[in-house]
Amino acid sequence: MKTALIALLGETRKGLLTTWTYRANAVVTIFTLGCTFIGIGFLMGGGDIDPEELASTFLGYLVWFYALMAISDVAWGLRGEIQTGTLEQMSMSSTPVGLLLLGRSLANFIVSTVQVLIIGEAMFSLLDIRIPMRWEGLPVLALTLAGIYGAGFIVAGATLVYKQFESFANLMQNGLLFLSGALLPVEEMPAWLATISRTLPSTQGIVVLRRVVLDGQSLAAVWRDGSLVWLIVHSAIYLAVGWLFFSVCEQIAKKQGSLGQY
Amino acid sequence: MEPSAVIRLDSLSKTYRSKSGKPIQAVRQVSLSVPERQVFGFLGPNGAGKTTTVKMICCLVRPTSGRAHINGYDVWHRRSAAMRQIGVVLEGTRNVHWSLSAWNNLIYFGNLKGLWGKKLTSQAEHLLHKLGLWDRRQDLVRTFSRGMQQKVAIACALIADPPIVLLDEPTLGLDVQAARTVEDMIKRLAHEQGKTVVLTTHQLDLAEELCDRVAIISKGRIIADQPVEELLDLFSEEYYQIKVKGAPPAGLAARFGLNVKEENGNTILSGPIADQEALYDLLGRLRALGLPLISASRAEPDLEEVFVRMLDTDDAAQGGSAQ
Repeated sequence: MKTALIALLGETRKGLLTTWTYRANAVVTIFTLGCTFIGIGFLMGGGDIDPEELASTFLGYLVWFYALMAISDVAWGLRGEIQTGTLEQMSMSSTPVGLLLLGRSLANFIVSTVQVLIIGEAMFSLLDIRIPMRWEGLPVLALTLAGIYGAGFIVAGATLVYKQFESFANLMQNGLLFLSGALLPVEEMPAWLATISRTLPSTQGIVVLRRVVLDGQSLAAVWRDGSLVWLIVHSAIYLAVGWLFFSVCEQIAKKQGSLGQY
Repeated sequence: MEPSAVIRLDSLSKTYRSKSGKPIQAVRQVSLSVPERQVFGFLGPNGAGKTTTVKMICCLVRPTSGRAHINGYDVWHRRSAAMRQIGVVLEGTRNVHWSLSAWNNLIYFGNLKGLWGKKLTSQAEHLLHKLGLWDRRQDLVRTFSRGMQQKVAIACALIADPPIVLLDEPTLGLDVQAARTVEDMIKRLAHEQGKTVVLTTHQLDLAEELCDRVAIISKGRIIADQPVEELLDLFSEEYYQIKVKGAPPAGLAARFGLNVKEENGNTILSGPIADQEALYDLLGRLRALGLPLISASRAEPDLEEVFVRMLDTDDAAQGGSAQ
């Protein structure tokens, strides 16, 4: 247990150090995502910025940003490790690779949170958007991220077996922006699209976050209306399926002898 | 299991499937034992199954059948315990993270093995000093020469002080000086630190210099597994070295399947000569050419000769059995 924890935290440290080495990329990401949101804001307001209306979109956008970063990290990050041979070295640790990925996700979460805080502060200042700081939002965000990182595990597993999975991961990232209710609330989607949207990893989290953070509902209220329960079930399923899927894919890659091949 | 065998492979086989579904047997029924504190060479031509076998030992490729044990631990059923016994440098240039410093690579790989705190930092310090990397410990590995990167990879494999070290083509692509440093390091690992070293290599002179025992793998099968001296003795009775003054025509050496080497105006013909009749035939021809004989002696072949002959013999046997 202690060995696994040390390895997991070592993986987190490596993720943070690597980000620091390539910190210019992280800065460019912040700039790109900030500019993109300003563009979205003007588009949605027909050339004007409506800070009140944009707050809801911005909250969804930030959740999508976490998903974007989580999927990028496992799809492109893992591919990089396959190409460079370090994935095989990771696999020779006495700790299962799945646990090491958790450590990697933790690093990704820390980096993403710093980026979210910077983008948030910039948008608050530039666009005058206001999002109330409510502690009830934190457990909801944590549950949402659990589902997102579960989806990340599915992408990671698929990357081990299907070596050119990044194109699909790219599609998935962009699909999440438009289909997860980040920009267009799921309640306003056509019924068939809403059904698809509700199966995506971040959709329910965005719904509950908006209720708790923007509408000021209590956790008890969202528990009673069932939306929090559904979020817990949804995220637990993504996390469990993601873990299982990754483990199966790792075994398939070892059977095919393709763990270090790209 | 023999108490002294730190690596034991029992009928290990691996069959891959091609895209068309055709089975490709990469490794066939490989069984061998590596006693502790030996430098064990695993030799074979490209595609013979060396790397697949090494990866099966390291739990990176799942065998189709058979078992691998490291220090008594089955690598598939006691993976965690087995992995703690080994440090591995795989073939290729990037076993370590180029975007991290040498120091951070050692700390990272130490963490992967469950090490932390003072124990880890003092081991990292010790290795970096020993390998002459201390002054550049904070530099990113991507700024290092190929030889230095390989040293970092070896240091990372040794960070948890494992009793067994697997090195897959450790000197491939290194310049002479860097290769010499790595060779010295391997010698020290085995002879001063008492580690068991498994070395796969194409470089037969390296294997001859470093290994106590070698196994030769061809087409996925082990065709020899013996101490180096015994292997060299295998063909010594029919291996001759003949030195003459001047240069015989090129066709003569080729006709007898001998190697030719020129040395200070003399020519040394060496290689296997099957029987006395062939030997006298050769000597007669040299005499007829008017080339003064300086010496003729039975000689010990080098590992390269043995390797080539074993592969030829195996090819002939395979061809025969196929017919």
